[in-house]
Amino acid sequence: MKAQKFSTATVHIVLIVMSLIFVSPLLWMVTTAIKPIEETMTATPTLLPSKFLWDNFPKAVTYGSKELGYIPFLLYARNTLMVTLLCVAGSVCSNAVVAYAFARLRWPGRDAFFAVTLATMMVPFPVLMVPTFGLFKYLGWVGSFRPLWVPAFFGSAFSIFLLRQFFRTIPMELSEAAKIDGCSEVRIFTDVLLPLAKPALAVVALFTFMGTWNDFMGPMIYLSDQETFTLSLGLQAYQSQHGGTQWNLLMAAATVVILPVIVVFFFAQKMFIQGIATSGLKG
Amino acid sequence: MKSEARIAYLFAMPWILGFLTFLLYPVLASFFYSFTDFSVLRPPRFIGIENYKEMVQDEVFWMTIRNTFTYVVAAVPLSATVAILLAMLLNTKVKGLAFYRTLFYVPSLVPMVALGILWLWIFNGEHGLLNMSLEKLGMSKPPNWLGDPAWSKVTLVMIAMWGSGNAMVIYLAGLQDIPQSLYEAADLDGARLVAKTRHVTLPMLSPVILFNVIMGMIGSLQVFAVPYVMFPNGAPARSTYFFTTYLFDNAFRFQRMGYASAMGWVLFLITLTLTFVALRMSERQVHYDRS
Amino acid sequence: MPVNIRTIAISAAALGVLGYLVYRSEDATTRKPVANKVTVLYWEKWTGDEAQKMRRIVNNFNASQDRIFVKMLSISGVADKTLLAASGGNPPDVAGLWDTQMTQFKDAGALTDLAPLAKEFGIKEEDYIPGYWKLMSPGGTLVAFPTTPASTALHINKKFLKPGEEPPKTLEDLDAFTDRISKVNNGKVELAGFLPAEPGWWNWGWGYWFGGKLIDGDKLTVNSPENIRAFEWVLSYSKRFGVRETQNFQSGFGNFSSPQNPFMSEKVASVMQGVWMANFIDLYNKELPWIAVPFPLPKDKQHLKGMNFIAMDTLVIPTGAKHKREAFEFIAFVQRQDQMELLCSTHGKNSPLVKVSEKFFNTHLNPYIRLFDELARSPNAAYIPQIGIWPQMDSELKNAFTEINLGTKTPKEALDAAQARLEPQWRRYQQQVMNKSITTAEAQP
Repeated sequence: MKAQKFSTATVHIVLIVMSLIFVSPLLWMVTTAIKPIEETMTATPTLLPSKFLWDNFPKAVTYGSKELGYIPFLLYARNTLMVTLLCVAGSVCSNAVVAYAFARLRWPGRDAFFAVTLATMMVPFPVLMVPTFGLFKYLGWVGSFRPLWVPAFFGSAFSIFLLRQFFRTIPMELSEAAKIDGCSEVRIFTDVLLPLAKPALAVVALFTFMGTWNDFMGPMIYLSDQETFTLSLGLQAYQSQHGGTQWNLLMAAATVVILPVIVVFFFAQKMFIQGIATSGLKG
Repeated sequence: MKSEARIAYLFAMPWILGFLTFLLYPVLASFFYSFTDFSVLRPPRFIGIENYKEMVQDEVFWMTIRNTFTYVVAAVPLSATVAILLAMLLNTKVKGLAFYRTLFYVPSLVPMVALGILWLWIFNGEHGLLNMSLEKLGMSKPPNWLGDPAWSKVTLVMIAMWGSGNAMVIYLAGLQDIPQSLYEAADLDGARLVAKTRHVTLPMLSPVILFNVIMGMIGSLQVFAVPYVMFPNGAPARSTYFFTTYLFDNAFRFQRMGYASAMGWVLFLITLTLTFVALRMSERQVHYDRS
Repeated sequence: MPVNIRTIAISAAALGVLGYLVYRSEDATTRKPVANKVTVLYWEKWTGDEAQKMRRIVNNFNASQDRIFVKMLSISGVADKTLLAASGGNPPDVAGLWDTQMTQFKDAGALTDLAPLAKEFGIKEEDYIPGYWKLMSPGGTLVAFPTTPASTALHINKKFLKPGEEPPKTLEDLDAFTDRISKVNNGKVELAGFLPAEPGWWNWGWGYWFGGKLIDGDKLTVNSPENIRAFEWVLSYSKRFGVRETQNFQSGFGNFSSPQNPFMSEKVASVMQGVWMANFIDLYNKELPWIAVPFPLPKDKQHLKGMNFIAMDTLVIPTGAKHKREAFEFIAFVQRQDQMELLCSTHGKNSPLVKVSEKFFNTHLNPYIRLFDELARSPNAAYIPQIGIWPQMDSELKNAFTEINLGTKTPKEALDAAQARLEPQWRRYQQQVMNKSITTAEAQP
């Protein structure tokens, strides 16, 4: 049942070469993380360290370690996790509900509004940035986490689109049968469609998770108190203005930061692909 | 029917509110700002179409448009090709699929702060990983990737390909969705790999390609983080000064939010136009045979 | 697991509680007051070692009295964040910024006029070296106080001077020195006597050595004959080694703060650097024999004797700060001679104050500290033009510098272009930002 006929060995060789290329920045990041500081700054860098300094990891994530107090890593991890979980929760709840309205219910203005929704994906971020900042400033939310997670509870065009496409692949008969059984729309949504939509919801959750975890711009604009920083923003603290950056520690911290994301992706990818496949990003 | 509509509005309510607050209001406000002069601390002052008039005469603005278009034209098709090829390779049901898939996806996950410096190390003209490899392969004078205006954009296009993991995942899902029966039918006709790719895979994948290319185009038009970190001031000689980096410099470095808003609106219009053109042009090429 | 109303209700309730907790917890994290003291929030750009040294001063202050507590935080991107926070109505009470931003920030209304507080605390203009006072008061408004200042000189690796040879006295001597000792092998530059592009922090300012200026009163003079001449001189260096060769040579330089710094690794024999350089030499190549001399002037410009670039790190009180008086009390403490000398000596800088103790000179790590102090006091010392469009000017000049060195434009073409682009910007800035009489639209939203 092969879809196409490549020789397996060739495929593996090509894949290994390609993945080496793809993974090279990451590899270098990890090997730099365990190098002594001198070796991170040599003009002719080597891939492997002369000695493996594993304790760069604890050093990088311990607050007030030795001569250089870096970042309160655990505090930042907690902040990041909190914002990320709230965003995931918010986007899963809101987008499913909204997508249901677009996919399965009839209401005046639906199709026009859907077209507008799609068009909003084309609005460049910088257009929104300034007035949105003004809005949060007006609400007095600048400096708090609220600008980072509250919008997630109001849906996003991309996720709505994805979920709508998914809901549309489920036969209408299912809803109609439930309706005959006396189910309300709410019941149909929660008891019939949501259980079926798990893979698509997983995609939305994952996209949100990865986007929020690595988001730099949002925290940079809205967070001002250092105690509220997220990890991606905190990483910047390793870089100093006129050089003297502890590259090994920066890379160690960066490795620790992306580790959870890689793990989540590795274990969730099957569902991830399935979710995208079944929702079908097709007209 | 009436009650269905009422429930529907209730369901759609979060997005209606979100749309009004986080999209419509900012879009309209920035349209207003584009006719004003203001900065973070100064309230907006109406100046008519001054910002747009200035833009027309601003050489650097036009330079960033040229740079951005060059980048889009090179980066979008290239990363799409890489992503499709990778997805097709992975779709051959090789062992270790999950492993490879993660490896290809990983570069999109490395935080920008670390990534920027890693690229600088890799592409360094004298001692970078890339040029050291090229010299070992016998190239006597490899390019100065970062310092030569002729190569700096090429560097960024290459970097863009590392980010194709995201699109690859979506292509892969699309490939897995193509019914096996189509390939079997092609096998019966004695079609070879190239023919199958041309007549089965690509047509069946075309909606996904369209989706990815449009998303990629929208993203590339806004290319920002990598050049901003790697090439401050659009160095060398503004060859890597892109639309959004210039916009950011105007908004924050130069304290000209009004001008930046006007630029944002121009970008919005360009994006809308290009998307529309892409959709129009693709109408005949894209197959939506399953409703 | 089937999803039913109950599950939904329970998750919704849980989420609600979580959301509420987050909502509440945020108010708690911002500015916890320290037991009946006024907390002064101080954002500083310094990280790592430099920040630790500043922290000593902060601790001294906190220990010196029982009314105020200064909480110092290292913030990356401190300038943008201070502006955003000020516009969000929640700025720090003190911010540690750079002199380069003072004019723009002052024009934007982001900085508090400190003159009344200075008067109250008895801090006077006469206490400061005149050049630094100028940097503290752009356009005549006192908005900043120094933390650590700097002056600059030519640092020479003594190995490359013949025994008994005098260091270059004129710019022409420096050129001759470069011609004599530079090594080019097979088109590859191995050693440069001097390189104007290293470290590149003063690429905008070469004109000042030739008697040029970037602004003269209200007028931009970017393409003045002196500036063009300066850039011709800069160009002579990339021509000397070849455009491509220079480029490749430079891309092999390590970070400033590393043993691969081209001066430490002996790729460049002489370099213009600030008073801090001694610290870094001590850190990365203790063995390096070096001397510091005033950076040489062209033969026909010897009357500019004492010309060098001075700069400083600044403390400001952003507009809208909640505890201005207490914040100033802290700033005034930093200005005390003992504290200032402690800070400047640990940072390896000279002092901005007119009065300097002998102990400061005698115990300073930099053997040339007296020279740097003298240079700072020179009436010919120059500094970054105090103009609100400095970021644009800086951007244009950096670009001109690259274009000239790449040979895509002649110095005259590049500087004419920069001048032509800056003039309308400057006019607009004067009109839109500096003239406040024009009616203002309603604030948004």
